[in-house]
Amino acid sequence: MSALEIKHLFGLRGVSKQDIRLILDHAKQFREVLERPVKKVPSLRGMTVVNLFFENSTRTRTSFELAEKRLSADTVNFTSSNSSVKKGETLVDTLRNIEAMKIDIVVVRHKGTGVPKFLADNSKAIIVNAGDGAHEHPTQALLDMLTVEEKLGTLEGKNVTIVGDIRHSRVARSNLWGMTTMGAHVTLCGPSTLVPRNTELMSSVTWESDVKKAVKNADAIIALRLQKERMDDALLPSMREYRNTFGITHELLECAKDKVLIMHPGPINRGVELDSEIADGENSVILNQVTNGVAVRMAVLYLLAGGRAHE
Amino acid sequence: MNKIVLKNVRPFVNGKFESPTTMNLADGKWVKEDLTDATVFDAGGALALPALFGLGLDFKEPLRDDIYDFKDGVDAMRRGGFYGGLYESSDNAIDDSRKLSAIKQISSFAGFAFSFLGAFSVGYKCKELTEMIELAEEGAVGFGDGNQDATRTRFLRLAMEYGSMTGKRFFFMPLDESLRHHGLVHEGHYADTLGMKGIPRVAETIAAFRILEMARFLKVPVHFKQVSCGETLKLIENAREQGVDVTCDVDIYHLLLDDSCLFNLDSHCNVVMPFRSASDKEALWQGLKSGTVNAISVNHDPVLRQDKEVNFEDAVPGAISLEIALPALWKPLVEKLGDARALELLSFAPAKIAHAESSDLSLGSKANLVLFNDKEETVVAPSLFAGQVRNCPLLGQTLSGKIKGSYLGGLWTEV
Repeated sequence: MSALEIKHLFGLRGVSKQDIRLILDHAKQFREVLERPVKKVPSLRGMTVVNLFFENSTRTRTSFELAEKRLSADTVNFTSSNSSVKKGETLVDTLRNIEAMKIDIVVVRHKGTGVPKFLADNSKAIIVNAGDGAHEHPTQALLDMLTVEEKLGTLEGKNVTIVGDIRHSRVARSNLWGMTTMGAHVTLCGPSTLVPRNTELMSSVTWESDVKKAVKNADAIIALRLQKERMDDALLPSMREYRNTFGITHELLECAKDKVLIMHPGPINRGVELDSEIADGENSVILNQVTNGVAVRMAVLYLLAGGRAHE
Repeated sequence: MNKIVLKNVRPFVNGKFESPTTMNLADGKWVKEDLTDATVFDAGGALALPALFGLGLDFKEPLRDDIYDFKDGVDAMRRGGFYGGLYESSDNAIDDSRKLSAIKQISSFAGFAFSFLGAFSVGYKCKELTEMIELAEEGAVGFGDGNQDATRTRFLRLAMEYGSMTGKRFFFMPLDESLRHHGLVHEGHYADTLGMKGIPRVAETIAAFRILEMARFLKVPVHFKQVSCGETLKLIENAREQGVDVTCDVDIYHLLLDDSCLFNLDSHCNVVMPFRSASDKEALWQGLKSGTVNAISVNHDPVLRQDKEVNFEDAVPGAISLEIALPALWKPLVEKLGDARALELLSFAPAKIAHAESSDLSLGSKANLVLFNDKEETVVAPSLFAGQVRNCPLLGQTLSGKIKGSYLGGLWTEV
């Protein structure tokens, strides 16, 4: 088995094409495992994975936990709401205490940019980023890439359009780094208050303010979840205007290719970023994304652990 | 007091460094006569610079003396060659004359020159005016915002209008809090790439413009602390042309670092005024060259280790600099601006802004000096710093030049 160049998964910016290829190829194998009657392999038997979630999460945490269990790892869930963090313990102390219990891998979600790297700098455990602030959410992007490859055969030369709150989206950031590394062309589109103003470092992507133009040549459209608090912060006037201007609707898709894939990281605000008939329509691959999420996370955990059970 | 003979030393006298000579130092003065029973130190050709003056000292005492106190601060000044500084604490607003009197007592270390900024609002909250006349009578050299939000414009007007009776200067860190909006870093491509909330340049320029307009309207002298972008310098130049009495400083680290350091996500780079782009850094250097910038500030702001040993966004902002300011800045300053201007920016001009005595060196006069070997190097290690703090963004780096010792208030300290 080839080894990953990376020792931890902090994000996809700077991760090589070879590493992403390796993860996606292994994810495809684990995808097949998930179709078996017994959906479990012994790959991480004897290893302990801690899911350290300082932010609320249902589907990502569940997806990681399922991935870990299907790799036969021992898993522990740690959430800030029921932990010593509430009593004022620092992040480093929390990690060191958990690490003293002889754990191997930490899956972490935190509101702060760079927390996974910070933990890796202060620990011997393997760190997997399950979302850090608005920075990166690498496993979400990997599952998006797997879904596109599964449906379209390759990412190379494909047009992927991401619509919505790009500025605050870790999903968009990870996708733009990962997808462009794999040869896809990424177009980003959103209201001017929700896209970054300084895009010099993101020059490999196309910025488009007109959503009709943005989706015209797309092979896949990723609609991002719109957080309701953006309205409170006066970044948008209303959900209604957002839906009418940037929502993925039947009328909008008349401007797009017939077979365009419709994707969403979930949970969906139906009737806001995505109309129900589109979310449940024949172009939607949203539930495939969810299944692929488990496979991708299995691949990431397996490869970062060194694939040792198969050696 | 002790006696010291510095051999093979090059003192800075009358605007230039002299050839290697011997300096006899006794009772805080550079004396002509030979000294008996004196400690002899071979300086190895090192430079004897007039001691430095620090703008932006915050030693935390009394309310946060768990972090740092004046003893630590004076220790840091000895290590870094600072004979004095302008003190303003964000934790301890000097908002009445009794507090000023108390802090003057706490800070009465022999030979050190501290100047103090009073707060113009009680607790820096911009709701109630302080008794500025009494504060001025007690010795406040000006009035400051404590590096906190001073954007309530009507209050600003009233504070400056009332304070104008004292003739003192008002000191502001220009930053519009509503535009800052929880941002911690410069709004630029590094922040956008990392998904971090940014502080746009207009947060500084809008605040600066409002203050300058008020200063013009009320004819009150103002000073801007830690200017971080070129656009603010242009506003200052324009205001001066219109007759506004405005001075400004730039922070030492803003001359050395820019927002590219964010990629390391080092919590030591989480500072109050964010590091801006490389072009802003260049504009600040141009400002030093053109004279738009009056002085370099140190903004010595100690933060506990545990408050920095966290991820970037959860870290307490602030950096210390007294111990390393000279080796960090001397070489680039001399290369770009010459040694006389370097000393002007680090010593004479800051002292002038703080209405403190200058530390000029001349035979027979009071001597506060720092011995600096510009041929050696300084490794920025935790042991370099006084007290229990080490929140320096240059930690681990190697700097050009090394402080060998300081003679401050008649006391020789070998570093």
